[in-house]
Amino acid sequence: MRHWTPYLLVAPPVLVLASLVIYPLLYNVSLSLRNYRTGEFVGLHNFARALDDPQFFASLRATAVYVSGTLVIEVVGGLALALLVHRTIRSGWARTLVYLLFLIPMVTPPIAAGVIARLIYTPTYGVLNVLLERVGLIRTDILWLSEPLTAMFAVISVDVWQWMPFVFLVCFAGLQAVPIDTAEAARVDGAGGWRLFRHIEYPYLRSLLLLVMVFRFTDTFRVFDHVQVLTGGGPGATTEFLSLYLYLIAFKFFNLSYAAALSLFVLFVTSVAFSVLSRYLGREVSE
Amino acid sequence: MRRRVSPWQVAAVAVLVVLTVLYLFPFYWMVVTALKPLVEFYRFPPTLLPVHATVEPFLSVLFARGYLVLLRNSLVACLTAVATGMVVAMLIAYPVTRFPVPLAFRRGLMNWILSLRFLPPIVVVIPFFDIVRKLGLYDSLLSLVLLYTVFSLPLATWMLRGFLLEVPMEIEEAALVDGAGRFYAFFKILLPQLAPALLATGVITFSLAWSEFMFAFILSATPRSQTFPIGVASLVTQFEIIWNEMAAVGTIAAVVPILLLLFARRYVLVALTFGAVREKA
Repeated sequence: MRHWTPYLLVAPPVLVLASLVIYPLLYNVSLSLRNYRTGEFVGLHNFARALDDPQFFASLRATAVYVSGTLVIEVVGGLALALLVHRTIRSGWARTLVYLLFLIPMVTPPIAAGVIARLIYTPTYGVLNVLLERVGLIRTDILWLSEPLTAMFAVISVDVWQWMPFVFLVCFAGLQAVPIDTAEAARVDGAGGWRLFRHIEYPYLRSLLLLVMVFRFTDTFRVFDHVQVLTGGGPGATTEFLSLYLYLIAFKFFNLSYAAALSLFVLFVTSVAFSVLSRYLGREVSE
Repeated sequence: MRRRVSPWQVAAVAVLVVLTVLYLFPFYWMVVTALKPLVEFYRFPPTLLPVHATVEPFLSVLFARGYLVLLRNSLVACLTAVATGMVVAMLIAYPVTRFPVPLAFRRGLMNWILSLRFLPPIVVVIPFFDIVRKLGLYDSLLSLVLLYTVFSLPLATWMLRGFLLEVPMEIEEAALVDGAGRFYAFFKILLPQLAPALLATGVITFSLAWSEFMFAFILSATPRSQTFPIGVASLVTQFEIIWNEMAAVGTIAAVVPILLLLFARRYVLVALTFGAVREKA
């Protein structure tokens, strides 16, 4: 009797949870196999349709640019900053200040970050143009949000601003596990900055870096909020990332079936990323 | 005793000063814009401080535009979701950490919960929209509460699991040996020990739900169920933007989680990495 207590406690929430998650997913599969208007079963038609939908591929390309751009900048920037601060700043209060400073952007709602970005990038009244003109770098306004390149830069900058601190903080915390003696010994033996990183510090960061990259990859891959309020997918469709394109199909054109088919693709990519993480962590973490 | 300052230290300080400006100025600019009358916003060049500071944009948004209702919706939805989420999370985390369940079961369950963290919202919201509409729950807070509960669970369960592992089993065992029941040991002995941890978990999951945008954007249509971020978005994307009011709602939306999380600062990084990072940096 006692033996069953944990399972009895776990069962109700898990069943409710499963019905709230698994049922919609199955529902999605069923949607994707139908014609939404008629409800008629159409097999893999919606999936085949994706293959000659140029807008889908354009959106995929835009997402790839966004994901790789943010991922590279955030990981390289965050890691470099963590190494710099770890090796040079010793004072405890300075480190606490850095921690607090970097916590703020991470907890700012993306929608508020979108508001801030609007105030910065908007033409004529945007503070960035004013500053650049003041310094003399530009003569006429840059229309940040209406040129494909600068619009992409703007939406990436918001993500980097919010989440590079996350990479920094995780790497920085990981570096605290490196024994000071080992690092000192390596330094005395003449190891330069790069070799110190490669042979002494990197082993402590490896699994954390993987974790951070999976988190950032899956989050940027599904980006929606700040892009929706900053560019709305524009100009044209240059920042129309997958989630925005799916939103358009599902809730502007009301083709839930086609959107469901595409969303299963999004789910598949995310699941692959997660399985990499869980397999790796399963090996690393012994309970 | 003072060591010579290395060029790297100078570089580090310089970088940190630049970053501090890059991080604080945008917030400063939003708050200042929210405190300016609209004519001042259009003045060129813009001033660093409002000349005639006013809280009019805040009042106008909250009362004239009726955003107070959206604030209430957000509070109701988030608080309900957090409370439900914590109970459910405890029902999962407690048995998993306090009973001798098989390792495979524990791992499988916790891993499945973790996988929900990576579930893309767009994948859920498409079928959910159809289901909710057929049930007549479109544009109701209930559907948001359900989703917010589900999406707060990964974090809540993993946080509680971490906290439970830190409380030594012996404390409860002593009570159990003394003849107390499981219920007594849980409510009178374990829960008081966990009070700060529960508060931190609640604060962090609340902030996440508070920031949520996509579900509310798609599943609500009127002030009956619209949350505050929807109000923010509608001021940003309208044809003619009222800039100081937009900045005011942005400020309100940002201030709530920032204040809450400065309060729970020690747990934020641990929570967001699901325990991979143990303590604050």
